[in-house]
Amino acid sequence: MQYSQKVLDHFMHPRNVGKMENPDAVATEGSPSCGDQVTVYLKINDETKVIDDVSFLSYGCASNIATASIITDLAKGKSLEEAKNITWRDAMEALDGLPPVKVHCSVLAADTLQTAISNYEIAHGLKEVPNFGKETILEELKKIIYPQVGEDIVNLKMVKYVGFDDGNVIIDLNMLSFDSWRDNVKEEIIEHLEKYPEIKNIQINFP
Amino acid sequence: MKPGSIYLDNCVTSPLDQEVLDAMLPYFNQQFWYPASFVSTGEKASENIASFAKIVADSLGANPDEIHFTSGGTVANNIAIKGIANAVKGGHAIVSVVDYPDLLTNAAWLEKQGVEVTYLSADNQAKIDLQELKDAIRPDTFLFMTTAVNHVVGTIQPLKEIREILDSATQKIYFMVDAGQAYGKMHLKVDDFGIDLMSISAHKIHGPQGIGALYVRKGVRLAQLIHGVKRVDNLQTGGLSIALMAGFAKAVEITFADLDATIATLRELSDYLLEKLEAKIPHIELNGAVGEGRAPHNINVSIDYIEGESVTVMLDMKGITVATGSACASQGLKPSYVLLAMGKNHVQSHGSMKFTLNKYITKEELDYTVDTLAEITKKLRELSPLYNSLNTQEK
Repeated sequence: MQYSQKVLDHFMHPRNVGKMENPDAVATEGSPSCGDQVTVYLKINDETKVIDDVSFLSYGCASNIATASIITDLAKGKSLEEAKNITWRDAMEALDGLPPVKVHCSVLAADTLQTAISNYEIAHGLKEVPNFGKETILEELKKIIYPQVGEDIVNLKMVKYVGFDDGNVIIDLNMLSFDSWRDNVKEEIIEHLEKYPEIKNIQINFP
Repeated sequence: MKPGSIYLDNCVTSPLDQEVLDAMLPYFNQQFWYPASFVSTGEKASENIASFAKIVADSLGANPDEIHFTSGGTVANNIAIKGIANAVKGGHAIVSVVDYPDLLTNAAWLEKQGVEVTYLSADNQAKIDLQELKDAIRPDTFLFMTTAVNHVVGTIQPLKEIREILDSATQKIYFMVDAGQAYGKMHLKVDDFGIDLMSISAHKIHGPQGIGALYVRKGVRLAQLIHGVKRVDNLQTGGLSIALMAGFAKAVEITFADLDATIATLRELSDYLLEKLEAKIPHIELNGAVGEGRAPHNINVSIDYIEGESVTVMLDMKGITVATGSACASQGLKPSYVLLAMGKNHVQSHGSMKFTLNKYITKEELDYTVDTLAEITKKLRELSPLYNSLNTQEK
């Protein structure tokens, strides 16, 4: 079994499961066609801004369920400011690691938590809706995991160029022609970017 | 339960029969010799191999000299496809998008050699379209390849009709069949279907792993793929295990002693499994052909609102081995190309579960499997945002 005991434990006995009635914030990321989707619900103390309660729903593989379970455990009882620092790397670490092809699951779980927090902050006037720009695209690319090694493509210096002009995104990737993960990475990037209404066209180039 | 206590992935490999093991043992350390002339050990070895080849040949209605032992089905497929392509030097070959990876990867190789390949589509049961085949044939078509029983959904291709269409061409079109999933699961006499080349494998019928055979119709010439010393066979040169051949022959004897009974047992078990699945798990759908149109050992279903990798991991924890077409369980993170070609969507592929049986599985084991799967499905659906968004009535 490639999964750690901790992953199996959180998969077989997931914490904080279920749809929450009257949540203060909610976010859904991923899509069934990609094989994984996570919804995170938050109950936030209006005064202390502490996450009093958190729960999730997950459609996906064992690691998807386990990472959603651990991310809710990590967030519970934290202040929003503390919870904003929870990353997919924290989820990975707390689970004693994941197989490289499954690292993207921890990104999805962390991403969903962060979107829920961001939704709360925007709804409560704690922050502005962020301006869309090249930086947004770069931030999204940091969430794309190269499945061969389980590390993001920005950190791996696979992103050679990012351009954004008039709704058109151009991304040059440093992935060789015999790299069997090209299609997978390309699909992941499109999935992450197409949710932005500011983007009309995505062009991904390989050498 | 121990890992693999209930093994329902028999399309990959199947447990060795005790009788087969017993039949092999003397050939490891007593009659281990290779053929040689003018020495009694070598002559005895030739006799042994001939007797094994005859048993395999009889099961296919073939002549023993048309049987070539290989070290497995994939090697047989490579010897056949590359061998015929190099011998005929034709311009065009036909295969379908739902075929076994051996055929598709060899088709890709053919394209690199300059052969044009037509990839036939498949219907919603993974059956190829005969009219499309007719239309695809060109004056330079030299090869048609098919997977007699589909490796994902068990659909049986219309072999007889295919041969008739191939015969309507003015030139000879070689008919190459991968029978890995079909052998021992249906009647497959080569003359009934005019098959020219066919690969089979021992370990899918309770024989040993590491031995298969290629049927080559008399008169069909293959260019040599594997060069080297001839020990056992002229196509796969070099050493081949005599003991594995003995085991293969014994497995064939057992399977074909009463093939109708073997088929009936498998059919009864798979019908029972499907009936139980449909009775105990709501929102479940059979993938592929119903009844006689599918091989008797295969049941493939899509379970709505949940994902197959998590199901297989949970079943595995309960000692049950099954397979899924989910992208999350595949090395390349891709959904099953067969299910997609059948018109299923990604979600149906992610939720697909494949059960392939052997004749020794009991109904009690199937009961335990379905009961366990029903519990797992319930648990995972409680977690699933897709299921939670259904209203109470739909549930």
